[in-house]
Amino acid sequence: MNQVFALENFSRKAFSQASPRRGSMMLSMRDVWRQRLQRAEALAARGDSMSQLLAFYAALLRVQLRLYAHLRASHNGAPSGALEQDLPALGSELRPALLAIAQAAPDALATAGQQLGDAGQAAIEDALLSFWYAPSDRLFYPKALLQPYAQWLAEAGITPRGRELARTDNRCPFCGGVPQLSVLHVADDSPAAGGGRKLQCATCLTEWPFRRVLCAHCGEEDERKLAYFHSAAFDHLRVDACDTCQHYLKSVDLTRLGIAVPLVDEVAGAPLDIWAREHGYTKIELNLVGL
Amino acid sequence: MHISRRAFIQTTVIGGAGLSAFGFDVGPAYAQARTLKIQRTTETRSTCPYCSVSCGVIIHTLGDRAKNAIPQVVHVEGDPDHPINRGTLCPKGASLEQDIVNERRLLKPQVRRPGSDRWEDISWDHAIAEIADRVKKTRDATFVEKDQRGRTVNRCEGIAFTGGCTDTNEFNYLVVKTMRSLGVVYLENQARV
Repeated sequence: MNQVFALENFSRKAFSQASPRRGSMMLSMRDVWRQRLQRAEALAARGDSMSQLLAFYAALLRVQLRLYAHLRASHNGAPSGALEQDLPALGSELRPALLAIAQAAPDALATAGQQLGDAGQAAIEDALLSFWYAPSDRLFYPKALLQPYAQWLAEAGITPRGRELARTDNRCPFCGGVPQLSVLHVADDSPAAGGGRKLQCATCLTEWPFRRVLCAHCGEEDERKLAYFHSAAFDHLRVDACDTCQHYLKSVDLTRLGIAVPLVDEVAGAPLDIWAREHGYTKIELNLVGL
Repeated sequence: MHISRRAFIQTTVIGGAGLSAFGFDVGPAYAQARTLKIQRTTETRSTCPYCSVSCGVIIHTLGDRAKNAIPQVVHVEGDPDHPINRGTLCPKGASLEQDIVNERRLLKPQVRRPGSDRWEDISWDHAIAEIADRVKKTRDATFVEKDQRGRTVNRCEGIAFTGGCTDTNEFNYLVVKTMRSLGVVYLENQARV
């Protein structure tokens, strides 16, 4: 696998041990989903102001893990990269997954999910296709349901077909998706080295290298326009904001907290989102709890 | 694109204050946001001053960039995007922050007179004049133009120079040029490493 597309938390050890056989790769990717789920459960159990959001996110991750496992287990051969052709692989799992998510969701979101579920399989598939070709962070269900599929594509190295999305440095080099968050990694060969930055795709969850001191939305490079907001209450998180385009995303600093799981810890930093919004910044991509 | 695009129910709920875009109750998070002490930092790319390798560093400064506030350095790290060092720094470079923010840093020249047990402050003008005076006197007295076998050496053996470990690469360059031009051979500085 190309290192640029190395997936989240793929430790170097796991990387070198992963044999070319599918079996071992499958195990490690499933472990990544499981890790996300466990982190969400652990953070939800702390019972602080974010535990409700995290309990929902844990429920969502449980469904996504199941979808991912289903894709890996049931499908014969590799995905095609064209969602129309790959939809049957998701097939019967879609509606139950949708309803399971809706069950854990707050009223309005639950109703929307219920309605989509009641509209039938074709409507669900339509919703997924619309999202696939014109992604939006406002489309909760398609985004949530397609993340396991997109990550499966990324893992298999099958480039999505027919998606004509912008190809710029601040878009996922694999699928063209918008970044959900930024991660600061410990350097592989030197734990004391400064954290290399990566962005994580909101669609296929691929991470790609991205320069520090650079706005992930408008490309601003002037350090005086780029602000990093930090609170001791969330030591390993920060708000990477740009005063030129007034957008931001959150960074998860793994050099400060190695056990953090970026997708989950980003959700757990909800108060920072609220703070950023109140100070006039717009998030590049809403996360799956709508913050 | 040959797919049907039936309008899909937008799940954007946005229910006013206290709800997220998907209708989650973020009241508790609002409450916590009120209590947060948020600090703004700036990340500035720079170059480590110590040796000619010129490693890239990122300097974190604290402050809201108000005109009358002095920004304070809170962290210095290797620049992971820099082609020379890719985020790494040697122990000396890694301690840059302690060099910048250090209450024991000397801010003016000091002198310890012969026989004295204490350092006294001295003005820059006074220090420079005194050094020039002594250098001239010592050089004149100890300069060796030719060695015993009559070979031209132009050595100034009465003066030695040593630099501190936080002297910068450029400072050391000037030191070497100045001392060599005086004929000083007992010369040590950090640019040698």
